[in-house]
Amino acid sequence: MLDMKIEAGTVQPIRRRLAMAAVALVVGAVIWLPLVHLFFAKPSGDFYLAKGVSAKARELAAQQMATWRNPESLRRELDRMRATNAEWDFMGRCFLVWSLANLGLREPAAKPAYLPVMDQIIEETLRLERERGMFVFLMPYAQARPFEAKPARSLFIDGEIALMLAARRALEEKPEYLPLLRERVDQIVTNISNRPTLVAESYPNECWTFDHAVALAAVALADRLDGADHSGLRDRWVAMAKTNLTHHETGLLVSSFTRTREPLDGPEGSSIWLIAHCLQVLDEPFARDQYERARKELGRTILGFSYAREWPVSWRGEADVDSGPIIPGLNISPGSSGLAFVGATAFGDTDFTASLAATLDFAAMPSRTDGRLRYCASNQVGDALMLYAATLGPLWRLIRVGSDHD
Amino acid sequence: MTKPLQNKLLAYWRADFVSAKGFYLRAALILVAFLVAHLAGLREYTTFITGTAAGTGASLRLSAIWGMIYLTLYFSAVILAPILILAATFWIGVERWNQKRRRANDH
Repeated sequence: MLDMKIEAGTVQPIRRRLAMAAVALVVGAVIWLPLVHLFFAKPSGDFYLAKGVSAKARELAAQQMATWRNPESLRRELDRMRATNAEWDFMGRCFLVWSLANLGLREPAAKPAYLPVMDQIIEETLRLERERGMFVFLMPYAQARPFEAKPARSLFIDGEIALMLAARRALEEKPEYLPLLRERVDQIVTNISNRPTLVAESYPNECWTFDHAVALAAVALADRLDGADHSGLRDRWVAMAKTNLTHHETGLLVSSFTRTREPLDGPEGSSIWLIAHCLQVLDEPFARDQYERARKELGRTILGFSYAREWPVSWRGEADVDSGPIIPGLNISPGSSGLAFVGATAFGDTDFTASLAATLDFAAMPSRTDGRLRYCASNQVGDALMLYAATLGPLWRLIRVGSDHD
Repeated sequence: MTKPLQNKLLAYWRADFVSAKGFYLRAALILVAFLVAHLAGLREYTTFITGTAAGTGASLRLSAIWGMIYLTLYFSAVILAPILILAATFWIGVERWNQKRRRANDH
């Protein structure tokens, strides 16, 4: 009788019950797992619209603006990010300013609400940089050894600040920012073109493709605003990158390299999606090529949920603050998956956008209060990145065709 | 609580894990535990995934503990509990079909 169990008046051998349980669980899983995504699936237009403002962009913007208008909540948000990574504080500001510029270009009537927040962020950022130096927004290892270029400049800081200033001026001219942008652009152009390798440091002897792409996109926008022309430098840099910064197996641009262009990393999802987006204003066919390669090498969809890997199968790096913790088995990278939204919306990949958004609503723990949206499993920079992905377009169109103000 | 209902609940409570009733009971327990965690506000602590402590003033370590508990219960409630319910329902269906077949054979 030890091998027997009694249920509902029948006697079943335990082995038979275990087999039945296993079959029942498999049947339950086969029915349920393909259905789960339907509870989170929405059309891609819920996240991103080519024209107008999507529902999600409006809710995310409301939350971000509320955070910046409340000094106490702002301090709390920035402090807890800075405790892990000072770069996030900086990038959260940049993504938000770029997003608000795109929102204002999409919805000009709302400009009066966005402009004061943009100015507050820019002025506060410039003040911190002025008082505490660029290291205030860099990780501690930036001071472990000296920058090789003298004077020390970080292309990461210069490029993103330049794009903030240019985005603000693109939404509405502010004369005080004109010399600040010109100075920042001159610095970027000098730092990149000074060396025959056409690369500039973000950290000591550490150069990032991401930072070059953002900085050159900022220069392109500044050119559009002020009538200058640095297209020669941009073309030379893209040609150099195609020749020297490409990963042999995948054709994707590598993430980081030394001043002599020795790769420090292979391709990474936490870089390539935004690089491809910035390349759209530098070399559109190359941008699309990079996006399509990234989509093939890094984008994955399982049971209706999409995500992105940090590395292609042919290359493996170390998880870090950019990739976030890698979820084993599927190799899901929160950093790469977040930035994949930028690639998906920038290149009009509606299926990928919709299934990434389903994953976001499923796994990032959305929290809504009074028309404001934030993701509990994220932080300010993560939510600002989502807002940028949900609003991008108008600034880049301004650079490419110059018609948004016409 | 009426006696028959009490008896029924007790039967579910005592049911073996490897049974349809056991599956229903576990699914219910998961859903209740998730509801309690949700109402207790543990969702806020899932920010630990980004390496950021929750805005409640908790340390990163404490955020990770509460956050992991919430994530485990959330994914159990969304994925595991419905599978257990479907599995239990399927199991009961098969048993009833078997009983009918046996009765038909006996006749």
